[in-house]
Amino acid sequence: MAWFTDRHFFLLAVLVYGLSTVYSVFLWRKGFRQDDHVNYLLLLAAFVLHTVAMVRRGFSIAHCPVNNLFEATMFIAWSAVAAYLVIGLLPRLRFLGAFASPVLFAIGVFALMPELDPPHGPKPEFTGALTSLHAATILLAYGAFGLGAAAAGMFLTEQHDLKFHKLRAVLSLLPPIQRLEIVTGRLVLAGFILFTIGLEAGRYLPRSTAAGYWSDPKVIWSIFMWVVYLALLASRRLPAQSSRRFAYGIVAAFVFLLLTFWGTNLLSPLHHP
Amino acid sequence: MNVVVIGLSHHSSPVELRERFAFAEANIPGALRSLRESGVAAEAVILSTCNRVEIYAATALDPAKAFAALKEFLTGWGESTGESEISSLSPQRGEEAVFSNSKPLAPTLSPLGRGDAVKLSGAELYTLTEPQSLEHLFKVACGLDSMVLGETEILGQLKQAYTLAHQQGHTGARLNKAFQRAFHVAKHVRTHTDIQRGSISVASVAVELAEKIFSSLKGCDVLVLGAGDTSEKTARALLSRGAHSIVVASRSLERAQILAKEFGGRAVPFDQWTAEFVKIDIAISSTSAPHHILDRARLEPLMQARHQRPLLLIDIAVPRDVDPEVNFLENVYLYNIDDLQAVADDYLKQRKKEIARCEQIIAEKIKPLLEPKNLQPRMNTDETNGACAATSPSPP
Repeated sequence: MAWFTDRHFFLLAVLVYGLSTVYSVFLWRKGFRQDDHVNYLLLLAAFVLHTVAMVRRGFSIAHCPVNNLFEATMFIAWSAVAAYLVIGLLPRLRFLGAFASPVLFAIGVFALMPELDPPHGPKPEFTGALTSLHAATILLAYGAFGLGAAAAGMFLTEQHDLKFHKLRAVLSLLPPIQRLEIVTGRLVLAGFILFTIGLEAGRYLPRSTAAGYWSDPKVIWSIFMWVVYLALLASRRLPAQSSRRFAYGIVAAFVFLLLTFWGTNLLSPLHHP
Repeated sequence: MNVVVIGLSHHSSPVELRERFAFAEANIPGALRSLRESGVAAEAVILSTCNRVEIYAATALDPAKAFAALKEFLTGWGESTGESEISSLSPQRGEEAVFSNSKPLAPTLSPLGRGDAVKLSGAELYTLTEPQSLEHLFKVACGLDSMVLGETEILGQLKQAYTLAHQQGHTGARLNKAFQRAFHVAKHVRTHTDIQRGSISVASVAVELAEKIFSSLKGCDVLVLGAGDTSEKTARALLSRGAHSIVVASRSLERAQILAKEFGGRAVPFDQWTAEFVKIDIAISSTSAPHHILDRARLEPLMQARHQRPLLLIDIAVPRDVDPEVNFLENVYLYNIDDLQAVADDYLKQRKKEIARCEQIIAEKIKPLLEPKNLQPRMNTDETNGACAATSPSPP
C-alpha cells in the first residue's frame, strides 16, 4: 500500500466531489423538493478522504501542508467542506452542498495538476508556528469566502425563482432567502476576520532583505482582496444596498480570487524565495 | 362477522342532503344503541362530519339484508329531528323514507326541514362489504376520500367517532382491530408518502411563501388592506404561524376595527395605509378599488424609507390592487391570486400522484385483517393498545 500516496487519497476525494456534483444536478432538476441526506453523506465521505490526504501529507513533510499550490488549494477546499459539514447539520441549509460541490470539484481537479505539486526539498520552504498560522488562517479564510459564495449563489437562485414566480421557489425545501443572506454575510465576515489575522501574521514572517514586502505582488493582491471584502461587508450597512447586489459581489469576488490566486502566488518573490 | 359500510359523502351527495343525515354528537350513543338493539349490527361506529355520514357495522346478517335494514335506519334517522328521543328510535321508523330508483336527486335539492321526507335515488348512499369496506375505512383515515385530498382533520374525527363508540361499548373485536389498524396505516402513510405535503389553499400558500422570504414570521408585521374573506383567512394563517402584529386598513373604519380587534391588532383609516408601509413586512390587499392602489412610483420612495427590507405583497383583489410593475423593484415580491392558486394546484397535483402509493400501502396493510383467523370474534386481542380488553361489545 506504500504506492497509495496522499495524492491518491485526494484523487478519491475529488472523484467523490465529482459524484456529488452529478447528484447535485439531479437535486437541482428535482427542485430540491425532498429532504436529502445523500449529498451530505457524499461530501462527508469526500471530507474523510480529503482529511486523510492532508494528514498523510502533513506527516510526510512533518509540517502543516501549505507549502505549495497543491497543498494550499487542497487546504482551501478542505476548509470549505469542513464549514459546510457544520452548517449542513441544519436541514434546510444542507442543500448548500449542491451549490458547493461543483466549486469543490473544480478546485480539486485544478489542484491535482502535477505542476502545482513539485517535490519538496529535504525540508519544506516555510516552517515555524507563525508561518503555519499565516498560511492556515488565510486558506481557511478562502474556504469561508468560497462557501459564502456558494450560499450567495443559492440566494440568487432562490431570489430569482421567487421574483419570477417559479413554482419551485415555494415547492423547494431551500431555506428562506433572508436566512441565506445572513449565512452569506456571516461566512464572509468570518473569512474576513481570518484573512485579516493571516495578513497580519504575514507581516512578521522572516524574509530576505532583498524581498520588499509592500512591493510584493501577492501582498498587493491580498490587500486588494482585503479592501474588496471590507467594502462588500461595509456596503451591507448602506440603506440603498440590495441583498442581490451584495450576493453578486460575493460571488464575483470569489471568482476573481480563484482566478488570480495562483498567478499572484507564482509572481511573488516572498512565496518563491 | 362481516364489516360493512353504508353512508353518503361529498362524492355522492350535496350538502343539502348530507346535512339532513348528520348526527349530532350527543345523539350518537343513542343511535348506536338503537342500531344494536335492532339486531342489525353487533358492533357499530357512526362517523358524522360535514363531508360524510357513515355507519361502520360488524354484522352477522347477510349483506343484502343488513344494507336494507341500515338504509331504513339511516333514512329513518335522517327524517327524525336531531333533538328527538333516540331511545325510542327503531329501524321501523324509517318507513317514511322514500327510495326511488327512477327519479335521481336534483343537485339543487330544496332545503328541507329535518322532518321532511327524504327522497333518494339510491346513488347517494353507498354500501360496501369486505374487503372494500375496510379499504374505504383506511382511505378515509388517510384522507384519500376527503374533499381536501390528504387532509388530516378526518383522522381526528374518525378517532373521535371510534372512541365514542368504544367508550359506550358498541365496538368489539372486528371494529376494534379494523379501526386501530386504520389509524396505524394513516400514520404510516403520512410518514412515508407526500400525500399531506404542501398547502392547497390560497391562504396557506401565502404563508408558505412568506416563510420562503423571511427567516421567521415572528418578527413580521402584516398590513391587511380591505377586509375580504381570503385576506382575513391569510392574515389569520400568518398570525397562527407567529406573525408579530396585524394592521387593518379598510374603507369602512368600523369594519377595520372589528377585524383588528379579532386579530389583536389595530385599525387605521384607509387614507393612511401608506404610512404603515415603512414598518410592515407583508401586505395583503383585497380592496374593491377599480384601479391599482399601489404602483411603482408610489412604492419606490416607500422602499427607500424601508431601507430596502424585503416586502411581500399578496394581491388577492380582482381587479388587482397592485401594479405588476412593482415586482421589478428590488426586494419586492408580488404575488396575485393566480400565482397563489397555481402553487396550490401544483401541490394538489403532487398529492394526486401519491394516491397510487397510498393505495399500495393500504392493500398491503389490509391483508392481515382479511385472514380467516381475524374474521372470527375472539375473547382477547393484543392489537388495540388496550382499547378493547373484551372483544365482544358489552350489551347495550
